[in-house]
Amino acid sequence: MSNLWFLNGIRKGIVTEKFPKTPPEDPPAWPSMLSGAGDARCPVDAIDGNGWNMDKCIFCRRCTPAYSPTGNQDIFTVESEAPIFHRSLYIYPLDSGSCGGCNVELMNIFAPHYDANRLGLFITNSPRHADAILVMGVFTEGMEDPLRLAYEAMPDPKIVIALGSCAISGGIIGDPALDISKYNVRIAGCPPSPYTIIKALIAAKGV
Amino acid sequence: MKYYSFGEPSGRFIGYSQGFKVYATTIARQYTDMRQPEKKAVPQGEFYFGYGPSTGGMIESVGVDLLTPGELITEAYVNPSYKQRNVTIRGRTIGDASLIVERINAFHCAAHSIAFASAVEDALGFDLPDGIAHTRIIALELERIRSNLLVIERMCQPAGFGVPANQLAILREEATRIVSRATGHRYFFSSISPGCSMMNLSGVGNAVRKISSTFSRIYDDLLESKVFMSRLINNGKVSIDSLIGPAARASGQARDARIDSATLPYSRFGFTPVLHETSDAFARFQVRSEEILQSAGIVSDALNGASNTGKMEKLEGDGEGAARVESPQGDLFYYVKVENSIVRDIVMVSPSSSNIAAFTQSMKGNIFTDFHFNWESFGIWISEAGVVLQ
Repeated sequence: MSNLWFLNGIRKGIVTEKFPKTPPEDPPAWPSMLSGAGDARCPVDAIDGNGWNMDKCIFCRRCTPAYSPTGNQDIFTVESEAPIFHRSLYIYPLDSGSCGGCNVELMNIFAPHYDANRLGLFITNSPRHADAILVMGVFTEGMEDPLRLAYEAMPDPKIVIALGSCAISGGIIGDPALDISKYNVRIAGCPPSPYTIIKALIAAKGV
Repeated sequence: MKYYSFGEPSGRFIGYSQGFKVYATTIARQYTDMRQPEKKAVPQGEFYFGYGPSTGGMIESVGVDLLTPGELITEAYVNPSYKQRNVTIRGRTIGDASLIVERINAFHCAAHSIAFASAVEDALGFDLPDGIAHTRIIALELERIRSNLLVIERMCQPAGFGVPANQLAILREEATRIVSRATGHRYFFSSISPGCSMMNLSGVGNAVRKISSTFSRIYDDLLESKVFMSRLINNGKVSIDSLIGPAARASGQARDARIDSATLPYSRFGFTPVLHETSDAFARFQVRSEEILQSAGIVSDALNGASNTGKMEKLEGDGEGAARVESPQGDLFYYVKVENSIVRDIVMVSPSSSNIAAFTQSMKGNIFTDFHFNWESFGIWISEAGVVLQ
């Protein structure tokens, strides 16, 4: 390998997948959409008489074989689209009390395999420049004020995104970072894969 | 407890929780004040520069206060408690406790799960079959490869070194996909629990060899980059007694739970720790890099004889157990007390707490632009340092 890094980069070629135009090349089995029916053991009550609730699920496999993973990464809910951001969506990530899994997967969507910048998705380090605040982890007292202050500092219009089961429902760790009604977008998974995050953020833009 | 006992300090210091100090073979009941140290009064001409808790430069929420007259840093304080999670494990079944332990720090799930599972197995008198021990070594070393790749990638980023940072991100994603194909989950969730390891190891050897050979070339090129090296050399020198993990090995101290391990047969693979002497970010970079190559070799060796097992049949009984593994950041210790498959007590000593103490020492005398290189070189994870197990 040459010490000229620019040439090194060129020689490596393109590793970015065509996703979401084409299906994911290497989706994980867990987490993904579950198929199955009936009651099953669940430590977080994600399965009850009404079936499976992706928002609560921590994808721990206790419910197998009654439920099994399909590999389908579309485990998210968009309550209200924001087409005003269809060209670009600037996201301010806020770690309320995560285990680090959601943080790393969010970082991964900008790595070469996924390259979310090509899809008009960007991270900003200031809430003043953000279109969306993306909340990760459970509620913690110490991060309550930073979360509120960051939200208030954002210009309108703005959207609130929950990333992962902890932010949505508290998972198996604690209480959700915000009440579920405050989220415009809920991305399920523990942690959600980069495929799920990208697809959800694009759907949030109404594209 | 087969490998630990309560008593006077004996052997090297591993770490502490609020009620205990853990040494190589003993657990001493000693109170440790876990509150944040009081900040030094501000001398004339200096001020505190606050960084965090929510900032784009860090992966997790953490508060850092740097005392400075403008450029030189004279004191540093790290507050990991902004995102402190109070997590209830006592009173839960072993199975539910395993699910929580996995989520203390997802990026090092294998280390946490294996340390916890080993402590439970010790408590219940379960002898780990050789095949599962090999599988667990593979899991730990795969996780070390991925973790060290992230550390080096994050050290390249503040230098604006985009090409190697992205090439390392490619390797890290490939390592993650190896884990995903082997366990069904990108971070080992629900694949390791007491008495159990479930990994499909076909194709792992070749895939890890590919990562190793590509990384070896990137490492050689990074070592030739004087601009990059100059950001690391003499940055964050520290050689206090309580160093653990890569930080200790970067100051020439052969401290590694893999040498001491009674349950995982690392000695079978001729394991000796990677050592460097200069105690700075550069030495930590060298240790982390060479450990990637070493871990790839261990994975190859451990594949012979590795096997899987289903769930542990009987998780019943009473007892106390303790175990320690070498997570990518250093010694990770768990103590559990089990009654009738219910966890009655649990203590976790995280390597990130020790590394935070080392980091704050190492920042004295540095300048602002050193901060990110030095922080990343310790591989600190706030999620494991700022969690309270109840």
